[in-house]
Amino acid sequence: MNSPFLLSIAIFLPLAGALAAAFIPAAERGQHRAIALIASLATFVVSLALYFGFDASAAAPEFQFETKARWIAVAGIGYHVGLDGVALLLVMLTTALTPIALLSAWQAVKERVKEFAIALLVLETAMIGTFAALDLVLFYVFWEAVLVPMYLLIGIWGSDNRLYATVKFFVYTFTASVLMLVAIIYVGTRAGGTFDYVQVRESLQAGFLGSAERWVFLAFAVAFAVKVPMLPLHTWLPDAHTEAPTAGSVILASVLLKMGTFGFFRYALPLFPQAALHFRPAIATLAVVGILYGALMCLVQKDMKRLIAYSSVSHMGFVMLGLMAFTAQGLAGSVYQMLNHGVSTGALFLLVGMLYERRHTRLIAEFGGIARQVPWVATAFVVVTLSSIGLPGTNGFVGEFLVLAGTWLGRLQGHLFGQRVGAPWFAALAALGVILGAVYMLLLVERVFFGPVKGERDAALSDFSLREWLVLAPLLVLIVVMGLVPQPFLDRTKEPVDRLLARFATAEERLRGEDPLRPPATGSLPPALTRRE
Amino acid sequence: MTGLANDLASMIPLAILVAGALTLLMSEVFLTTDRRGYQAGFTVAAALVAALAAVAIPPAGRVFGGQAVVDSFSAFVTATVCAALALSALVGAPWLYARGAERGEFYALALFAAAGMALLACANDLLVAFIAIETMGLATYALAAWMRRGRRPAEAAFKYFLLGAFSSALFIYGAALVYGATRSTLFSEIPRASGPLLAVGLGLIGAGLAFKIAAVPFHLWTPDVYEGAPTPVTAFMAAGVKAAAFAVLTRLLVTVWAGASDGTVKFGSIIAALAVLTMVFGNLLALPQRSVKRMLAYSSIAHAGYLLVGVLSAGSALARQGAISAVLFYLASYTATIVGAFAVVGALEHRGAPGEEPSDAWDLSRLSGLARRRPWLAFAMAVFMVSLAGVPPTAGFVAKLFIFRAAISAQAYGLAVAGVLTSALGAYYYLRVVVYLYMRAPEGEEEPALSPALSVALAASALAVIVLGVGPESVAALARAASVIGQ
Repeated sequence: MNSPFLLSIAIFLPLAGALAAAFIPAAERGQHRAIALIASLATFVVSLALYFGFDASAAAPEFQFETKARWIAVAGIGYHVGLDGVALLLVMLTTALTPIALLSAWQAVKERVKEFAIALLVLETAMIGTFAALDLVLFYVFWEAVLVPMYLLIGIWGSDNRLYATVKFFVYTFTASVLMLVAIIYVGTRAGGTFDYVQVRESLQAGFLGSAERWVFLAFAVAFAVKVPMLPLHTWLPDAHTEAPTAGSVILASVLLKMGTFGFFRYALPLFPQAALHFRPAIATLAVVGILYGALMCLVQKDMKRLIAYSSVSHMGFVMLGLMAFTAQGLAGSVYQMLNHGVSTGALFLLVGMLYERRHTRLIAEFGGIARQVPWVATAFVVVTLSSIGLPGTNGFVGEFLVLAGTWLGRLQGHLFGQRVGAPWFAALAALGVILGAVYMLLLVERVFFGPVKGERDAALSDFSLREWLVLAPLLVLIVVMGLVPQPFLDRTKEPVDRLLARFATAEERLRGEDPLRPPATGSLPPALTRRE
Repeated sequence: MTGLANDLASMIPLAILVAGALTLLMSEVFLTTDRRGYQAGFTVAAALVAALAAVAIPPAGRVFGGQAVVDSFSAFVTATVCAALALSALVGAPWLYARGAERGEFYALALFAAAGMALLACANDLLVAFIAIETMGLATYALAAWMRRGRRPAEAAFKYFLLGAFSSALFIYGAALVYGATRSTLFSEIPRASGPLLAVGLGLIGAGLAFKIAAVPFHLWTPDVYEGAPTPVTAFMAAGVKAAAFAVLTRLLVTVWAGASDGTVKFGSIIAALAVLTMVFGNLLALPQRSVKRMLAYSSIAHAGYLLVGVLSAGSALARQGAISAVLFYLASYTATIVGAFAVVGALEHRGAPGEEPSDAWDLSRLSGLARRRPWLAFAMAVFMVSLAGVPPTAGFVAKLFIFRAAISAQAYGLAVAGVLTSALGAYYYLRVVVYLYMRAPEGEEEPALSPALSVALAASALAVIVLGVGPESVAALARAASVIGQ
């Protein structure tokens, strides 16, 4: 099954669907929906073949399903794609959520169905490509190509304030990314004119970038931090999430944010480990502040979507904290938490979207006691909430536990009120975020689903339709399965995590030990100078 | 072939363009009916044959005693100019026909201008360059005045002529001073001389060329002229004049830099300052524009800034080849993009009586909701905007990638950073066009159906933009092969 073309098929199948849709008249809404659904489901099937064909053993090559082809050879840029375990899981997340998002918009999107189908399919191609790319420029191309369809999704099918939100989204992320382009070109030029990831990493091993490494790391880190988003670069997110249509919010939260943390995991950390070690306390501090800030902001939100958007800031803070722990548990938990956030937050946005379709409002105060009218919606919402707050038995618990344990075990150093503090403080403050998470999510459930029925409008609500069951059931099953049987997923993250840890170990070694350019500290003169005497 | 025969053979592409122009002029004399449909087709054919000749004829090297150099570099630029001419002619035919202004002279002037541009691309002598600039300039002044009865076109043409004449005067005065310093008008003699006379002379020549490429602070004419000139002419000017002027600027500077014995990059800091000013102000001034044509004019200024970054990167011997090929690739991709964008503008313009353009003729609102009425036209415009913004996977992205790669190889990190940051600024106003295309409700009257010629031009340029963005390898290799100057 390990065909070299399988991955490229997965990348470009959605694009082929989009091309097919482009040549069908816009009036044929049913056909457009069908094409989009078939193309995205077929992509999911292909990705299943990838999943089962993947060899997670230590003896397997680092990147599988590799394809290497000429692209812009004069500039040392190639079409090079391949998957490691982490990229594989994120590709699976993408291919699983795209048909779900599409199905969720089956009725919500009535206008311009053709453009919707095309935008969503192009977006899927760009997202899979981002995770699969093994050439820095190719990665950048896919990374930026994500922006245009997402821009259209928010700007055309979003709610009232959509234009502001979508322009903010684009300008914010585009501006942050262009500096990464300069950094990519710099790194490629210094690495001898190649942009191939494996070769670049090889030549960076020696750490020859010197003082430039920190600048280059920062350029990458800022681009990724905006996408994650990390405080204080998060302000585009509440607007974009709130104004986007349900399908857009789902894709944005579930997949797009992961591109940022994946960028750290694949590029910023392994390529520039010494700079990463240098900035580690600052990033970890921002992550913890993000966890608490996001959670506190959730407590005061009136709009359900905005609340979930801020909860994303909080949850993605956990992912970043796990990455910065530099321990096996932390990194594995961080990857697991990426998947969890994709599943749970995606499900939350879907549920809010369903409520919105019924009531045309997202304001928490407009709802009350609807659990009696829609018991299944309430049940699903509670299950997803429990996953989101990390109750044991759900997927959220596994991820958060690993992140917190990994942080505790890590050798993080930071400052708190002028005092040097160790890793346990980071873990403890992050755990406070878990508690706050339970508070705001349970308050949300209580206000919307329980208590007295607010008005007559709530009395006539209908429960899940068959389509809505189809949309949510896979995610609910995943929540339980990933909570009870995490090992298959964790197995696939083991090799990439170990490799990253090994790079950190070498970098620490080098930092602690000699700097070949610096004269010995003892004060003795180098041989060339002593001989002259 | 030797001597004169060789020299003349190297000028075949030029001769084709001029012959085409003369034939059209003659045919106009013998015309008995009003049917001028053949003229655009003839122009396109002449342009394509000239482009083919430029590429197919093996480079002759130095001809006419070294006053011109016919190499792959000039062939690439000639082909680009001819492509711009062919596309603009296709845009122009329906535009002129709808306004009752189609005449053979229009196409003849465009062909003469293209001949001037092609000559400029091989000029290796200050006087040849001057003659080429004037040939190109006089023809384009006349083209800009084509719809002379309107207030705006007349103003545009007058402004263009005055400032163009002024810049020519600067150029020729500078050439005279350089001649005084070097006792020759050949480019290749310049690096052997030095002193204040030469510096002032080169500075004046540079100022004259900066007018032509519309670099800040020599850009003041651009918005008015671009807006007032007939849209097909604007397209041709934006693509062709820019390509030709950058070709001669590159050849001149690279000759000076390559000939410098100590490897100094003369005028490096001045050009860097010009580049940064041009990128910053071009993009900043484009931000508040509501007229699409004016916005594209300022954007063309900004793009001159990116090209200047590329030219300056050629100052470093290590990065020279990469930089020249980046400039060439940028010119090709910019030609496809900007002609396409102006083609869309031309297709949507109000058609009043000649010279009576309403003030909102090119307002953004003309694009409102275009995606619902004409999905393909809107898609093409969106592609052009995305490419101008430099977002992958379009030609504009690859072109910027090459430019910044050259800048980084030349260790001009500051310029690269300034370039990407200003292009992020640009994303805002290009995407505003996409907002109007896709996210606003339609308003105003229905635009007329697209003519076949315009559809061909649009499809060709949109396809070129996408192909250059997805599979740029072949054109990039051509540009690479054409990146050797001065042999």
